Amino acid sequence: MTSPRTADRLTRILSMLPWVIANPGTAVDEVCKRFGYERAELLEDLNLVFVCGLPGYGPGDLMDASVDDDEVVIDMADYFARPMRLTAAEALMLLAAGLAVMSSGAAPPALASAVAKLQAVVVPDEGTVEIDLAAEPETLDLFRGAAREGRVIAITYTAIGSGSTTEREIEPWGVFATLGNWYVRGYCRLAQAERVFRIDRIRTAEPTADGFSPPDEPPSPVVRYTPGVDDVTARIRLSPRSAWVADYYPVSVVDETDGSKTIDFSAGDPSVAARLLVRLASTASLEDGDEVAEATRELRERILRRYG
Amino acid sequence: MQRVVERILNLLAFLLTVGRPVTAEEIRNTVNGYDQPSDEAFRRTFERDKDLLRRLGVPLHLEHTDAWEVEQGYVVSPDQYALPDPGLTDEERTALWLATRMVRLGGQAPGPGAIFKLGGAPIAAAGDPLTADLGAEAETLAEVFRAVTDRRTLQFEYHDEPRTMRPWGLVHRMGHWYVVGEAAKDKRTFRVDRMSAITVGTKAGAFERPKGFRASEGFPDAPWEAGEADVEVTVRFDAEVAWWARRQLSNAAHVVDAGAGAIDATFPVASPDAFIGWMIGFEDSAEILAPDDLRRRFVEHVGAPG
Repeated sequence: MTSPRTADRLTRILSMLPWVIANPGTAVDEVCKRFGYERAELLEDLNLVFVCGLPGYGPGDLMDASVDDDEVVIDMADYFARPMRLTAAEALMLLAAGLAVMSSGAAPPALASAVAKLQAVVVPDEGTVEIDLAAEPETLDLFRGAAREGRVIAITYTAIGSGSTTEREIEPWGVFATLGNWYVRGYCRLAQAERVFRIDRIRTAEPTADGFSPPDEPPSPVVRYTPGVDDVTARIRLSPRSAWVADYYPVSVVDETDGSKTIDFSAGDPSVAARLLVRLASTASLEDGDEVAEATRELRERILRRYG
Repeated sequence: MQRVVERILNLLAFLLTVGRPVTAEEIRNTVNGYDQPSDEAFRRTFERDKDLLRRLGVPLHLEHTDAWEVEQGYVVSPDQYALPDPGLTDEERTALWLATRMVRLGGQAPGPGAIFKLGGAPIAAAGDPLTADLGAEAETLAEVFRAVTDRRTLQFEYHDEPRTMRPWGLVHRMGHWYVVGEAAKDKRTFRVDRMSAITVGTKAGAFERPKGFRASEGFPDAPWEAGEADVEVTVRFDAEVAWWARRQLSNAAHVVDAGAGAIDATFPVASPDAFIGWMIGFEDSAEILAPDDLRRRFVEHVGAPG
């Protein structure tokens, strides 16, 4: 297998050539900025193009690629005058990204027209791919604005299930949608650590007079759950009917036979695995994890008691 | 890498200009870079190069080289190779580029290759931080998407059963991707992350897509609204979860005050399984009041030995 870097380099060359051919006389800096080149990298690619061309490979057969008076010059390369078609994965990614940002309500006007033009060339009609991220909570704009302006927000947060409600001040870094829900992430002054809150579980949110300066480069958000040191782990056996769980939650698969899977499921609280096990009923079984076994038994009893 | 890049550029230049199918042998004798000492070394190199071309998105096909169909050769049609120009402005390219920075699909941010093909982006500003994660199943999705755009049939397994469908569109809703189309003469919806063993049909344009079809048309709002059953349920939500339940129920729900902050909500359910899963999230802070058989089914489900 050829390395992905080779593919990336070829894609960039085969994209840069048609653009320069269509825009003769473009300055080196402009080409660099547009295609993410360092000056030396661009010169290296131009030198490489310069020795390629058509059979014969004499002076009249090779492409002309050089820098003249700080402008990029491409000649004798008409066969590369048009950019390469998008792969299915690329077209889908562009379209999905554009539609998702439009659905999030954070889109600049140019995005809507860009997506419309893209749809015209990559899908049969505009209803082919549709994206609806999640119903937008009323407070979404409050958090989005607070992240932009660096304003501290006071929230009351309720953990469903345990029903415990806490009041906290948070420094929101940004909002994002995943798995059908909106989240706000940032620094929680109560926990004195980075936290992610599901916005629909925030009962009240009020801006405060307090401001904060966001970190220069906030760490990439932990969208999916990543195990922590205090986690409770359960080993669960999934039948083929519940094997989807392994793709759905961030778990490690320890065994896989005939469509059944054995997974290690970690969470900060045993109640998370307990709810999952009650939901999966007879399609999954707990193989190991005393705390989770206890929590599951307790949850079953508690629900059944209510139904008398 | 240098040599591979040169060889590929030479090969592609040749294929785009030659205007007829060319055999591997002719490529070996003509194109610069195929001076491997043995047949085996050439074959390996050429196979790798073909893979690479296909990965880049180059439509490389095999065709007969003559009317007697004795030999086959490789063809790249310049029209199929080229991107139909969407006519984007720089502002639009930048907006698209920023959008790709804000969205993750397949667990990671995509490379800039797609934007480069569209003419690159003169980057003006850093984007908002990540806004959406569209799930992990990028490879499957790209295959399904290819089937939708080329109008190819899809074969796959779903809940262990083989299925065949004519895919009309893709929808991302509430965190999941769905493919909508015709299967067994009915309009059907399948969750992409539950499809396995996917095969995309070899014939493009294998069916007609209903004109103006919108993938989200008639698409249910909540998971328990997708399905074939039609049950009206009434649920008591206790005060501590009532506010949260209210946020999730659609306008179709009829809500009455049940005292002390609790509510009784009556609403339609089309998928009892999805509804039961959702109810378990409320633990013992909610209770199915009606109908009786669904209430019984819930109790059986919760009481089932794990």
